[in-house]
Amino acid sequence: MFAGNGEVRAHYQLLRERLDTMSKEELDQKIRSLETLFLRQGITFTVYGDQRGTERVFPFDPIPRIIPADEWQTIEDGLVQRITALNLFLYDVYHEQKILKDKVIPEEVILSAAHYRPEFRDTDVPRDIYIHICGTDLIRDRDGSYLVLEDNGRCPSGVSYVLENRMAMKRVFPHLFDSAGVRSVDSYAADLLGTLQYIAPHAKPDPVCVLLTPGHYNSAYFEHSFLARQMGIEIVEGRDLIVVGGHVYMRTTRGLQQVDVIYRRLDDDFLDPKVFRKDSMLGVPGLVSAVQAGNVALANAIGTGVADDKVTYAYVEKMIKYYLDQDPILKQVPTYLAWDEKDRGYILEHLPELVVKAANESGGYGMLIGPRASKAEIETFRGLILANPRNYIAQPVVYFSRHPTLTDGTVEGRHIDLRPFVLSGERTHILPGGLTRVALKKGSIVVNSSQGGGSKDTWVLHQS
Amino acid sequence: MLSRVADNLYWMARFMERAENLARLLQASNELLLDGATFGSRSFNDYWDPVLTATAMEDQFRTLYPSGTVADVGYFMTLHEGNPDSITMCLRLARENARTVRDQISDEMWTELNDLYLFITAPDTLSYFQRSPQSIYDRIINGSLLFHGITDATMARTEGWQFIQLGKHLERADKTSRFLDIRVHSAQSGHSLDSIQWASILRSASAFGTYRQEVGGEPVAEGVIDLLVFSTVFPRSIRYCVQCIDINLHAISGSSPGTYSNAAERLAGRLLATLNFGGSSEVLDRGLQEYMDDIQQVLNNIGQCIFETYVLLPQDAQSVTFVPSTEPQQLRWKELQAQQQQQQ
Repeated sequence: MFAGNGEVRAHYQLLRERLDTMSKEELDQKIRSLETLFLRQGITFTVYGDQRGTERVFPFDPIPRIIPADEWQTIEDGLVQRITALNLFLYDVYHEQKILKDKVIPEEVILSAAHYRPEFRDTDVPRDIYIHICGTDLIRDRDGSYLVLEDNGRCPSGVSYVLENRMAMKRVFPHLFDSAGVRSVDSYAADLLGTLQYIAPHAKPDPVCVLLTPGHYNSAYFEHSFLARQMGIEIVEGRDLIVVGGHVYMRTTRGLQQVDVIYRRLDDDFLDPKVFRKDSMLGVPGLVSAVQAGNVALANAIGTGVADDKVTYAYVEKMIKYYLDQDPILKQVPTYLAWDEKDRGYILEHLPELVVKAANESGGYGMLIGPRASKAEIETFRGLILANPRNYIAQPVVYFSRHPTLTDGTVEGRHIDLRPFVLSGERTHILPGGLTRVALKKGSIVVNSSQGGGSKDTWVLHQS
Repeated sequence: MLSRVADNLYWMARFMERAENLARLLQASNELLLDGATFGSRSFNDYWDPVLTATAMEDQFRTLYPSGTVADVGYFMTLHEGNPDSITMCLRLARENARTVRDQISDEMWTELNDLYLFITAPDTLSYFQRSPQSIYDRIINGSLLFHGITDATMARTEGWQFIQLGKHLERADKTSRFLDIRVHSAQSGHSLDSIQWASILRSASAFGTYRQEVGGEPVAEGVIDLLVFSTVFPRSIRYCVQCIDINLHAISGSSPGTYSNAAERLAGRLLATLNFGGSSEVLDRGLQEYMDDIQQVLNNIGQCIFETYVLLPQDAQSVTFVPSTEPQQLRWKELQAQQQQQQ
């Protein structure tokens, strides 16, 4: 919001003036009405490890983050470039593996990735698209440029908060929007449905699309039902589906109805107990064979996890160069790979300065923040890295920009990131804005909702 | 519609209706207790046992409260989370069912149901309950009525709506029959029913006002039975509810009125015929309790048959019908509407 010299950046001027007209009491009262609104509508996530299945409201900060049109254009171009390369990469590693043969990426990195599915090599997916829905985490660096922190190419969540935050802001702070020129986020559900329909097997017209959820005990269940409702498609659980003769059907009051496209919010491991985890009660026996027979399409496709592996991440810039012959528009964070002997030496010598991440964890788990860690924690990670170098990467501590955030009635800077949502179908749609997550604890850079993070509305402005 | 979703909608409505009926029963019973003078020396057991028996909560209560008091019964039936049939637990189940089918119901329905749940589980509800149980019951009754009203006003008349109506009417018919049962149990303990007790039954079914208009005079057995069992105009009478069930079932299956295409329709049609051609004298000749037991049994069977016809997931795929994927949803809609119009 503020430039380096402490002045309010131009595109925040209007917001600043309007916030200044509100008294503290008025603001407090509006915050309370926002919280009530979320609670009443059940916009909550389930806290794991709590026996009563407590639902919490995702903390929401009412001071919006604003991104001017030209800044957004760069992000958008960068994301389109990145998803294009990632989808080409996935096609390649599941077919000829040219990028490995050309030694642009070391073969062992890919073949040893936990989420690489060799059994899907040479299985075609509709339209050759693997990642249909991607949530790419960005941070804004000291000099104002955006860096990619990670790609979430499996089952990224959070988009429902983007849509609900906007709805709530419009209801409680309508005057902030007046003539601010904020781009709408309303088209997301229609774009998502269009993306799903586009990948129907054999380009079938009017395909039956469903959303597959692990069930209402899942922490993101609200989002699943929200999206299904917005798209007007059925939300199904594994037990609602059955595979007969290589086709997938849902059990309805009138009999079995064929399903063509499944937007699954279930990780690969749980999809089909016949193929992946045998103990999965959430999946559908036979689903994988139906996918392989080309009778049903999955979004995202099976095996995309190899692209959001944190070791693969280190090679995305090279991928862009290799497949597109372009320079990456969005830079990323320098990454040291523990499996590489030289890098590993560096990591082990510099642990107190580095952030160490497990290659396949998400949600802020399995992470060491060197400068804040105790000696014992550092030694634990040293052991972990030595025991399984393939599973760890390290990065310098990156700067997360701060944004004015309401904390106990006063406005203070808190660290934020940004997760834009990218849809790849007939064309690539990028939701203007995305989820701005904010670390509500002072000084913290962990923005995950499971660990004390909140969110903000994100405003992308029209070109003035 | 998904079988599981149909089941969730049906139970959402049943549990909501159950909570409302329990609230009304407890409210009417509390009022009756205030007329304590007429009971003379009757003990707690004479008074509350029939309520616990008719709602099938007696054993549960005795386990939790070996020497129960009036206040215990109220808390036990209203807020106790160890009682799977308490109002709180009914509302929790209604909400759980609604939560899994949020995409199928309107936002307004969800918000009202969620509000009611947040109200009954709020930390200060217990002290509020101790000070003013009647206002808790008011809130629950109003919440449920509002929920059903919102459902009527905001939900499309799709198959899902029919399943909601089925759940509501089955539960309502069952509860009305049990209210009649309660005082039969009282009567068996050696006391004949007086008009105050008949009035309490009418209040439990929100029927006192209607009784005065439609029947008139002091409440007596024949009049109460004619209204609560056989009325064609009172929306909580058993006959009225069964009529609705019959219509809902035909709307779902698409079979013509007066015929049947599955066991649930056959049972509902036969029960309706019995009620259409019955009357209070027949009930009293045969015995109110026996008559009510039979009705409850048939209602149970109808519920079971609905489950078997529409929900029970076929385990072997040979025995099921395939829906042609080209069948336009729109067409089914129009058929349903046409049937509804015919029936109304």
